[in-house]
Amino acid sequence: MSEAPVPAAPPFTIPAIETVSASRHYRMGEATVRAVDDVSFTLARGEFAALLGPSGSGKSTLLNLLAGLDRLTAGSIRVQGAELAKMDSEALAHYRRLSVGMVFQSFNLVPNMTLADNVELPLRFAEFPRAQRRDRVHELLAGVGLEARAEHKPSQLSGGEQQRAAIARALANRPGLLLADEPTGNLDSRNGQEVMALLEQLNSQMGVTVLMVTHDPALAARYARRSLHMADGRLLAAEVTE
Amino acid sequence: MTRQDLFELAARNMRNARLRNALTTIGIAVGVASLVAMMSLGIGLQRFANQQLMKSGMFQTVFVTSRQDPRNMDEDRDNNAGTKPEESPALDDAARAKIAALPGVEEVAPEVRATAEVEYGDHTNFTMLAGLPWSARDEDSLEKMKGRFFTSATAEEAILQRDFAKKLDTNPENLLGKTIVVRYARRRGGGPEGFQIERQQKSFTIVGLLDEQPYGGMRMISRARVFVPTQTALAMDLMQPADTQQLVRADPAARNYSMLTVRMVSATQAEAVEDAVKKMHFSAYSYLDATRSMRRFFAVLDMFLGIFGSLALAVASLAIVNTLVMAVLERRREIGIMKAIGASDSDVKRVFFAEAATMGFLGGVIGVVLGWLIGRAINLGANLYLQRLKMPPEGLLMVPLWLALAAVLFAVLVSVVAGIYPAARAARLDPVEALRYE
Repeated sequence: MSEAPVPAAPPFTIPAIETVSASRHYRMGEATVRAVDDVSFTLARGEFAALLGPSGSGKSTLLNLLAGLDRLTAGSIRVQGAELAKMDSEALAHYRRLSVGMVFQSFNLVPNMTLADNVELPLRFAEFPRAQRRDRVHELLAGVGLEARAEHKPSQLSGGEQQRAAIARALANRPGLLLADEPTGNLDSRNGQEVMALLEQLNSQMGVTVLMVTHDPALAARYARRSLHMADGRLLAAEVTE
Repeated sequence: MTRQDLFELAARNMRNARLRNALTTIGIAVGVASLVAMMSLGIGLQRFANQQLMKSGMFQTVFVTSRQDPRNMDEDRDNNAGTKPEESPALDDAARAKIAALPGVEEVAPEVRATAEVEYGDHTNFTMLAGLPWSARDEDSLEKMKGRFFTSATAEEAILQRDFAKKLDTNPENLLGKTIVVRYARRRGGGPEGFQIERQQKSFTIVGLLDEQPYGGMRMISRARVFVPTQTALAMDLMQPADTQQLVRADPAARNYSMLTVRMVSATQAEAVEDAVKKMHFSAYSYLDATRSMRRFFAVLDMFLGIFGSLALAVASLAIVNTLVMAVLERRREIGIMKAIGASDSDVKRVFFAEAATMGFLGGVIGVVLGWLIGRAINLGANLYLQRLKMPPEGLLMVPLWLALAAVLFAVLVSVVAGIYPAARAARLDPVEALRYE
């Protein structure tokens, strides 16, 4: 587990995400809830896509499936060629650690850890060499403009700053895919714009594939090059913006 | 995750709930302290008992009797005493020499006891006279006596019990260096018709006054009142109880011993010598036999003390379960975050185990120190009491290094076992649900 690898470049034809009839059903008493139902789509590497839909349409469930936090009931999800459905829990943890970064609406920083400690956490799980950790944490925080805040606790920061720190943490092990669940949902418009600018920059400058869940069509129209629409667990016709 | 990261995270988590973890750790410490105190009491008592017995030289001694002797100590005497002469040989000089030649044997002393009348001035007293072997000079009671031991193994000197000496002189110390006359039954001659018994007398110089019974009062000769060197006693041809038994047997004039006391260089040889003597068709008995039940008693005592001591630790282990289950509930969201950014189930599990182990280790170390202090305090109190009774101080509670190390290890083990359930619960948490949890 040395230097977190930039995934050994697979052939360019392998998409970042490829789902085939991905389904996630729950049983609630007698009823079956089809949170995600027969969703198939492909996302090329380097894309910036938005996943739109009203509350309860299954966006977040799909994102959790892609993040390896939840498991498919049926179908298949391949991320950079790797089939998530076939992974055991250990392999799935390894996937979450190295291949994908997660950003949440509520930031999900560990409250009693400093920003530096929060950013270091994924490096610990990846057994990133201790000698280089300080530099890496520093570099990540500098990348989101929070160098000076390294020793602050999340509660001492604004929402925008917290979300930027969360993005720095998501990028710690250099994943090729960033999944963002309503990243600006808890932010005012100025902070929201800052965060979106950061995501855009990561996508354009570092080639990170970004899939962002939002219910704000304007936001999607402004930043995403592609929009996927969901309703009642199903994917509606995909439409490309710009 | 590396072990260093694991313990750093565990330490950080524990600092965040400092009071609760400290209280749990103190609980473990009290449990370990009670265990250590109980066990050290068991160990101390056993050592104390062993020391007392070692002082008596009992463990270095095997007693040999003939199987023909109806008074011998062999429990299975009737079965062991064969009907053929070679199955129950006589305990004579030849046997004594054979036993003396066994490896590890320091001395083989016959036991000589006889009734005698002691005359001093116008006092006469009827009492028991016994021979003391040369090796008895190292014996605790004889080292502490007033006066001195015999000048030689054949000296015509006597050591008296102080209580008996008081009957001869109200101030027994005056007797040292004085002469007593001892009258006794002497065995003489010998032939197919047997032997004769006659009245004899002999003078002895008093050289010592005993305050205690020799050999801790645990031998037949211990209860005698007048002691002379064994060799001197043998030379007196004292009429022995075994002689009347011999009279009815094939060789009526043969000289046999009623008992030989075999003294080993060290207690470790006692068992081998005992076995070898039994193979010679004699009855043999050692205090190792008697202490076997004592050792069993201490094993049971240690077990009970250990169980009672462990009770407190068992209660403390429930506190660990409680503390960690609380932590799992409190840190639900944090566990979800950790899983979302790449912690595996086993990483989560190991963090909780590390926390349990850390509490166990700290509690164990503090507990050992506490237990040791309790032991010291009890020793101090016991010794103050012993001092008031004018008795030498004793270390009743002992905390040997192995006990300290084993206690810490045990505390860690118990804590980790207590951590199994909370850790498994934490590892099983569904990250999606945990992240939804506010």
